[in-house]
Amino acid sequence: MLGFIKKDLLMIKSNIKILAILLLIYIVMAFQGQMDLSFLLPFMSVMIMMSTFSYDTFNKWDAYAITLPNGRKNSVRGKYIATIILIIVTTIIITALSFTIFYAKTKIIDFENIIGTILGSLFATILLQSFMYPAMYKFGPEKARIGIFVVVFGVAIIGGFVTKYVDLSPMIKMLDSIGTYWMIVFPVTMILMLYISYKVSQRIYFKKEI
Amino acid sequence: MENILEVNNLCKKYKGFELQNVNITLPKGMIMGFIGENGAGKTTTIKAILDLIRDYTGKIKLFGLDNREDNKKIKENIGAVLDDMFFPEILTPNDINNIMKDIYKNWDSKLYFKYLTDFSLPNNKAIKTLSKGMRKKLEIATAISHHPQLLILDEPTSGLDPVARNEVIDLFQSFIQNEECSIFLSSHITTDLEHIADYITFINNGNIILSKTREELLEDYGIVKCSKEEFEKIDEKDFIQYKKSKYEYEILIENRKVFNKKYDIDTIDKITLEELMVLMIKGEK
Repeated sequence: MLGFIKKDLLMIKSNIKILAILLLIYIVMAFQGQMDLSFLLPFMSVMIMMSTFSYDTFNKWDAYAITLPNGRKNSVRGKYIATIILIIVTTIIITALSFTIFYAKTKIIDFENIIGTILGSLFATILLQSFMYPAMYKFGPEKARIGIFVVVFGVAIIGGFVTKYVDLSPMIKMLDSIGTYWMIVFPVTMILMLYISYKVSQRIYFKKEI
Repeated sequence: MENILEVNNLCKKYKGFELQNVNITLPKGMIMGFIGENGAGKTTTIKAILDLIRDYTGKIKLFGLDNREDNKKIKENIGAVLDDMFFPEILTPNDINNIMKDIYKNWDSKLYFKYLTDFSLPNNKAIKTLSKGMRKKLEIATAISHHPQLLILDEPTSGLDPVARNEVIDLFQSFIQNEECSIFLSSHITTDLEHIADYITFINNGNIILSKTREELLEDYGIVKCSKEEFEKIDEKDFIQYKKSKYEYEILIENRKVFNKKYDIDTIDKITLEELMVLMIKGEK
């Protein structure tokens, strides 16, 4: 199985120069106050992993992987584990950068604010990827990408309407009460989302005819 | 003789195409050439053997094991080269070694790099920078570097120049030398198969229409070239198919010696696989 994880990590490594340049641009923008670094986490992780799916499809890796020992099982598992590794690495980099930039600008360390923001963007990243991967396996990157954009915009539009016309105060109260336990609720929800997504992807891939 | 591959009554239905009761038997230590025109069912059969398609009926056994139940064990002993299916092109041959050594128990890095050197392939260049022929050679090197017992190859020599094709064919021949290993390969380049295949299996329209040893086909089968008058004297039972060209009739027969004894026709040639394919597909009865 390690080989399948390596395959995705080596693909990411192949694009490391472009990623480093992008990161540098964002750091400069964050220093100038033009961009919040927390945005970088979902953007980078989703973009990087999406490109691995595109390369896989272009070179029909999914079919080739099945000819390898335990290919159907380990190909999907490898993708999810590589994603988790990537998310951990980018989260560490972005957390360190966020603290550095915040401190350089304000000379204080606002631990709760920064961790809260990072955790929020981590949640968004995992939510997006949890929906994206099964769609990628089912429909391929081209269709899945369009589908994801439609869903994200759809949710944003519906959300806009709901907040305008529906009284959400009871729900906000409930979220506030959960909020005190956010250090537990958020990670558990994220792990659960990824696990369900992995199981769905594996089911799709297991039945897939190539 | 022990069989390394057995396909029994394989059926698979697509819209507009159907594999019908495909039966294939490949003994250990042999090379089987799988021929047929485009869309005849070669790749579908190979995909079923490799478990790339699932919704089919019939039984497929490799090394005496069921291809679905003993998938991992089987895949450890198989090397596959499929048409345009490989590693993502941003990876390098070095990356492939790094990955494969953690996928196959028997991956042999030394052997892999030896093949890369023999094929003059670079270690550190991305696959996308390689020519089609080099890429094919890399696919073949990757398929045999874990000491598989069976190679399943879909058009392995397509895109290769004659020198490279020769190298690859030599490699296949040395691969089966220990008599424990076998090769199942589909190819349009029938001259390659005439050199290396022990068995030829011919698929047309999803049906296996012929499966014989190379000797039987190339020594016994023949092509009779004759006039219309001569053709009309031949009993229908004595030929398989015929094709009418502008000046003569070309007739496919099963046994040149038997035919020669019965009819007084001088032009009875040995048949090539290409002629056999054309007559079987385009001929009439």
